[in-house]
Amino acid sequence: MKRIIIADDSATARMFIKRCLQIIGFGDADIIEAEDGKQALEAAKEEATDLLLTDLNMPVMDGETLVKWVKASPKLCEMPVIVITSAGNPAKEAQLLELGAHRVINKPVSPPVMMDALADFLD
Amino acid sequence: MIQHNPFSPAMIDAVRQTLENMVFMEIIEQRGTPSEIPAEELAWSSLLIKAPVQGELRLAVPTELLKKITGNVFGIDEEEVTTTQAYDILNELLNTIGGLFMTKLLSQEQEYKIGLPNLEAGELPPTDENTVVWHLINSDEEPLKMYAAGESLVALSKNSDQ
Repeated sequence: MKRIIIADDSATARMFIKRCLQIIGFGDADIIEAEDGKQALEAAKEEATDLLLTDLNMPVMDGETLVKWVKASPKLCEMPVIVITSAGNPAKEAQLLELGAHRVINKPVSPPVMMDALADFLD
Repeated sequence: MIQHNPFSPAMIDAVRQTLENMVFMEIIEQRGTPSEIPAEELAWSSLLIKAPVQGELRLAVPTELLKKITGNVFGIDEEEVTTTQAYDILNELLNTIGGLFMTKLLSQEQEYKIGLPNLEAGELPPTDENTVVWHLINSDEEPLKMYAAGESLVALSKNSDQ
């Protein structure tokens, strides 16, 4: 079973992402919800995780800082990170990819976009 | 000088795309006299635009419509909708609209920074020459209103939409 962490301060956004995952065939995944980057980081350290999906604008620890921490950790640095954001543009996307994010997708997220983004990581 | 695309089409596209994708709701601009949302039936949220211009976006809807949207999204009866669920939907809608609007408004190379959506209470601030209002309706003719306020943000409308 795949273990996927969704980090977003909005319960609505987490629900939409979960729904997209279910639609594209990850209904049986172990999905861990985190309300901010700090919670997501703690959840990732607890158990091996196949994928981290994170928002950018979050309180406590934002998505950019989360990506930095994940990529700086020898234990977590191989974990794919996809940033799902409403505050993305090509300049920001390039910056996040340089930090180590594997993909950046813009809200509102839809199942086809999610499927495309996940295709490389969750065969 | 900030390179940008036309202001109003960017907002209309952002609202339309967000509502269609997230809550399966089609919207159009309201023609004629705009419907008002009575203060006691109003739910609204605000979002700060921090860079490269400064301003604020506001999304205002009737509470009954917000309940209906929330019930549809969560797959529950409107009577079961909690205030927390409804306000979270409103904030997330505005958050998504705000990001899409800035992406559509600005040139690809232009970075921008927006804040976190904030649920507001009471009446909406009065409009002035530095406020743009979009009066929108859904297919049931229920009103939604988007506001953009702030001198440097709204200045982008004055050199693109005229």
